[in-house]
Amino acid sequence: MEFFQRTLDGLLEAGPYALVGLGLTLGFGMLRRVNLAYGAGAMLGAYTGSWLHVRMDWPIWAVLPAVIVTTALTGLYVQWLCFGETDRTSGSVQRASPAVSGADAREVVALAASFAVWMQLEQLCVNWIPQHLKRFPDVAATQEWTFGPLGLRPDRLLLSAIAIGLVLAVHHWMQHSRTGLAMRATAVHPLAADLSGMPVAKVQRWGFVLACGLSGVAACGVLALEGQVTPMFGMWMLMKGLTVAMIGGLGSVRGVLFGAICLGVLEAHAQAAWGAIGRDAAAWGLLLLALLIRQRSSATSTTGSVYA
Amino acid sequence: MLEIRELACAYGKIEALRDVSLSARAGDVTCLLGPNGAGKTTLMMTLAGILQPTRGTITFEGESLLGLSPAQIVDRGLALVPENRLVFPALSVRENLMAGAYRRKDRAAIAGDIEQQLDRFPRLRERIDQLAGTLSGGEQQMLALARALMSRPRLLLMDEPSVGLAPKVVAEIFGIVRQLHAQGISIFLVEQNVHMALKVAQHFFLLQQGRVTFSGTPGELAADDVIHRAYLAGSERKPESDTANV
Repeated sequence: MEFFQRTLDGLLEAGPYALVGLGLTLGFGMLRRVNLAYGAGAMLGAYTGSWLHVRMDWPIWAVLPAVIVTTALTGLYVQWLCFGETDRTSGSVQRASPAVSGADAREVVALAASFAVWMQLEQLCVNWIPQHLKRFPDVAATQEWTFGPLGLRPDRLLLSAIAIGLVLAVHHWMQHSRTGLAMRATAVHPLAADLSGMPVAKVQRWGFVLACGLSGVAACGVLALEGQVTPMFGMWMLMKGLTVAMIGGLGSVRGVLFGAICLGVLEAHAQAAWGAIGRDAAAWGLLLLALLIRQRSSATSTTGSVYA
Repeated sequence: MLEIRELACAYGKIEALRDVSLSARAGDVTCLLGPNGAGKTTLMMTLAGILQPTRGTITFEGESLLGLSPAQIVDRGLALVPENRLVFPALSVRENLMAGAYRRKDRAAIAGDIEQQLDRFPRLRERIDQLAGTLSGGEQQMLALARALMSRPRLLLMDEPSVGLAPKVVAEIFGIVRQLHAQGISIFLVEQNVHMALKVAQHFFLLQQGRVTFSGTPGELAADDVIHRAYLAGSERKPESDTANV
């Protein structure tokens, strides 16, 4: 019965992980923007929410949208600073020939720039709020539902339902809306998208901001159950999100759910067997495995990821 | 319909087009010939708004296209079928067609136009839910052509539609070009397969080293000694659909 309880705990843990992986999948997998400041942006949003809650006495219903808006604005900043140059040259015929234009070099510069922004945002948080452990609006349930020998936390169940709903909504929007089609088309072939009359730079810019805004939703979901935010939150977001996105296929919105369930269940069992260190080791091991599988599939595939 | 006057375009300090002047008449198939590196694709990309000229003018139906974005140029009624197709490989055939109609808002008419393209290209109907990246080269060329037609262009720009395709497929593509012309669509075609182009085009231009060096009818083209030697003489003994690369 212990096994089933751990599995159930892991499944419920998948909810927050799916939220974390969703924004990363949109940004990394679909828009092909390797944004290392993903977690740091969410952390800045979280600290802003904490500050508004503790210092300004904002209620939770106002704090959560403020966190999402802050992460979206941070995304706009990262987009402008790190990926603006890529956008300015988007649509040019040179992009069809990276060897001539140095498009690959620009991507490396953008990656390095996003790392610099990660450090910048982290320092901003550390210096802004010297006491690093801060309170966040807490909505964690005080009671557990019991079904025979199994216990279930209703707050985690609610968060999982929200995560599944959001993942399916984003998937539906990407597959069936005009903007979703444009986002997928510009990610696959920007020049062809340009020739089809799509505003490539605009689509990519706002898609990226949306992905960052989703990281704000994830931050709200996770921290509202924890009731606190720490300086390690940014790194946690990046690593968990990356693991989930990699397992899910890096570009597959529905794959995020699969990746989140794998990570959640594995961690729950590893935690029970080997404690916190075992849990972290299992998560790192899973990321490594996903990277190895991804590398091998990339070497044999020429069509890239399938946007499902 | 399309008037290009003294157009110049450069990649940094390298001038790819120099004082190019040519025109395309409504209802005609106009063909631009030229060797590799002559500037043909640069001209097409400039017409599509991807590249901006350094000087000169481009007018389409009396309206200047200078400074317009690719999206605005699609709105004006031009659509480019690019060299090497450039379909969206990870999108289905249907989604590729819908991408071609991105600027349009009339959903019902778009659905009707997709049906029309599938009637025109039956092989695409068979593969409607297949990823475009899994199609053959000929099917991808048909998809690129159908995608461009989804914007309902008044002038269709085609950049080397025969490149890399088997002779049978090339014949099929040019058959479709003839059909489109018969339906009243104006076409500006860049091609190196002179034999096939002679069957469909009413006017020819020759672009060499960024300059227009010849302008004339199919008869004048065939009568020009230099062009005949470069493009036609060697291939007269070959099957008609062989590509006359120079």
